[in-house]
Formats: sequence, C-alpha cells, structure tokens
Amino acid sequence: MAQVLRVDWPSCEARGLCHEVLPELVDLDEWGYPIVKGPVTKELMDHAKEAVKVCPRLALRIVEGR
Amino acid sequence: MTTTYLAPTITREEDGRPASPVPAPKEVTVRPGPALLNGIEHGPSLAAHRAQYGPIPHLNSKQLTELVKRVQMRGRGGAAFPFAIKLETVLRGSRPVLVVNMSEGELASAKDHALALTRPHLVLDGVVATAKALRSRKIHVVLPGERPAAAAAMKRAIAERSDGVNIQTTTAASRFVAGQAKAVVELLSGRPNLPATSWAPEAVKGLKGRPTLLSNGETWARVGLLVLRGAEEYMSIGTPEEPGATLLTMNMPGSVPIVFEAAYGDRLRDYIPQDRHGLPAMVGGFHGAWATWETLASARVSVNKMRAMGNALGAGLVLSSPECPVTLTARTVEYLAGQSAQRCGPCFNGLPALAREVTAVHDGHGGLERIEQLANLVVRRGACAHPDGTVRLVNSMLSTFAEEVEAHAKGGCTLKHGSRKLVGDSFSRILEVA
Repeated sequence: MAQVLRVDWPSCEARGLCHEVLPELVDLDEWGYPIVKGPVTKELMDHAKEAVKVCPRLALRIVEGR
Repeated sequence: MTTTYLAPTITREEDGRPASPVPAPKEVTVRPGPALLNGIEHGPSLAAHRAQYGPIPHLNSKQLTELVKRVQMRGRGGAAFPFAIKLETVLRGSRPVLVVNMSEGELASAKDHALALTRPHLVLDGVVATAKALRSRKIHVVLPGERPAAAAAMKRAIAERSDGVNIQTTTAASRFVAGQAKAVVELLSGRPNLPATSWAPEAVKGLKGRPTLLSNGETWARVGLLVLRGAEEYMSIGTPEEPGATLLTMNMPGSVPIVFEAAYGDRLRDYIPQDRHGLPAMVGGFHGAWATWETLASARVSVNKMRAMGNALGAGLVLSSPECPVTLTARTVEYLAGQSAQRCGPCFNGLPALAREVTAVHDGHGGLERIEQLANLVVRRGACAHPDGTVRLVNSMLSTFAEEVEAHAKGGCTLKHGSRKLVGDSFSRILEVA
C-alpha cells in the first residue's frame, strides 16, 4: 500500500495552500479544490507533510491507500 | 427543420430545490413472495409472526457467523457487501452497536417501506438475534423521514416486543443522501444527518468510535429469516451461487409502487408488468443505470450476472416510465444536484453544473465533452458516493440512448414531437404508449 494524500472534502474550502506547497502532487480544479495527482513518493514526503500542516482547514491527511 | 422545445419541467419543493421525479410513496402494493413475504396475509402483529415462526433460537456469535457464511448473505442496500465480513469485523472490536437503517432515502424504492408495513418483526428478530449473539445491548432503528406510515408501523412493532434489549428509534432527515451509512452515524451522534468523511469503515469505528454493524431493513429481515428457519430452508430457493431471494420495487411513476420478492436466478422480465414490456427502465434507482428492453428481457435477478452485464441490481429498484429517457434523466439529475448536502466543493459546484449541461443536451445544445469533464471532476471527490452515482446515471443515459441523445442535439426529441422517427427498436413501444 502506498502513502496517499486524502482530502476531508466537507472541511476543504478551496484555500489552495496545498497547491502552493506541493504543486507536484496537487492541481486545483476550476473551483479551486485540490486534485491529487498520485501517491506521495519518498522524495515528496516532506513537502506533503508540510502541505498537511499548512492547510488552514486541517482538511488533508496522509493515509495508507491507493 | 429546427424544433425548439421547453426544458424538462422541474417542479420544486418549498425550499426551492427540484422535487424528486418520483414522490415519496403514500401507499405500497406488496405481493406475497417465497421467503420474507410468505404469509403476509396474516398481518404484521407479533402474535401472527410468532405463530408462523416461533421464538428466536439462541445463537452465539460463532454459530451466527457460520450461518451467514453458509448462505453467502449479502447486504441488500445496494452494494451487496458480504454480511459475514461486516460481522467478523465488528466481532474483532468490543461493545458493538447495531443499526437498522430503514431511512430509504431513495424515494422511488419502497422495499424497506413494505417490510415495515408487513414484516417488521422479521427485521427486528434479525437484529435482536444478532444483538444477543454479540452481547450487544443497544439497537438503533433509523426511521424514514418522508414515509410516516412506515415509521409508525415500525414504532408499533417495537412497542409490542420485550426482548431485554434497548431499541431506540431516530427519524432520518428528508434528503436523498440521509440514508448513507456515515450520514446515519452522524445523525445518531446528534449531528446533522449528512455525509461526513469516513476515515475507517463503520464496522471498525462507527458510532462513538465503537464498531457499528449497520444494515438496511431487508438485510436484517434476511438475517431474521435465516435464524428462525435455518440455512436449509433459506437455500431451498435461488441458485447455488446466490441462494435465497431478494426484494424488488417496481416503480411506475403515477402508480402505486409494487414490491415483489424474487428468487435469485428468476427472469427479471417476469416481475415487469406486461404493459411495460418493450420500455427501457432505470435499474438500481437514481444512482443506477438505464437498461434497454432487450437487456431487461434477458436479465436474471442476480447480483453477479447483472454486474457482468453492466447493470447493477443495486437495492432492487426498477423504474419504468413512458417518458423520454433523456427527459427523465435530466429531471433526475436536477433533483440529485439539489440533494447535495452542500458540504463538498466538487459536489455542490459540480452537480448543478452537470445538471445544467444534461438539461442543455436535452434541449439540443449541450456539449458531451463538458459532461465528461464535469464527470471526471466530481467522481471520487466527496465524502460520499452521491456524485459517483449521479455520474453513473448520466453515463448510462449517454451510452444506452446514444441515438436519442443525438436526435436531441439535432433539435428533435423523437418522443415529444410526434416526428415518428424511430430511434432504436426499444422506442417503438414508447411511441405507442406516449
């Protein structure tokens, strides 16, 4: 199982900081909500943790999954 | 020739949201069946129930697990999830909570409604026997908010019993997504009856963090029948791969819905009234998929076989209407968009946009590329599967009625304007009816 970013959708309010911190993995859709592009690789783990930390809505988590 | 025509007529609720294309049923016709619906003519009382089935035999959790495994019991809420897996999961935790989810937020469905009216004690025997096997003392029964007769029937039945188990009732909100498992756990937790992000399955961590065994009314009634009558009788109908029977709701807008009980393996067409033969139908409900008459005519009542054909049996709902399927889909998607809990951005932005686009396709100027783009933006991007189910219905309309969609794009619904241009054999019948 890979490590993946999961969005807590009801909490997310499209502030977009995840995309600022982690553009490699997070795009924004036409309404500003994150599109997670793939699993968190070892190289990007630190940035992913940063994205989780800076989310003002605490709407991101790194979980085991696909 | 260019034909212009009106957008699908959308009636609205008092709060402005589009109304369901099918209202909540006030009455339900229930036909006797081979298992749960055998003996319904004796009425729903506890006395009649005990006269037919006797007392609940005591089982321990191991015996119960073996029984449900032996008959390959699957949930009847739509996903056909193996009941034994849920049972074994809650058994790994401590102090499980049991929930009977009779909210039936899908208004076109009426099977749990039918059980509340005719077989409440089979539902309750299933959950009480399980509570005793699991040494759980608390049962929650979630009642439908939009079906007062069904809710009252369940309350009456609960009042008749003395099982030594605490049975508490809670009434669900009047919303399509209120019956979703996590939304029900939210309701029972004292929060709004809306979906929330589920970080673990309810069977692992549900109500108050405790393992929660949540199933709909029919699933519990099947457990009840199995416990009362044993595996041999349970498996005496159906097929070796799928033993037993399942409830079907035949919904024909404008008429009282009919609930049948079909043995697995039966021909689906035998449960569709003769005067609807030849018509396509929405199978599995508003989150389901369209099927042509050809598909319906060859289908068997089977979770596995229908999946292989690309049509999920879902919660057993067959919706048949002489209305143009593109029109009915557009109205349904408008309704589903209005049923969003307004919590998840991709859903509350994406579904209204999708509904507008499907209506535009209906009106002959919609873009299929935009529908595909919106579908990709909403699927798997929410706390519940409401967007996914909505997209499934839209996609099935596009693939099942490609020619009819094309006719709409050219400005001529073949069904509405009497142009008498037949689009596909399955429509010949509609033209006669309409």
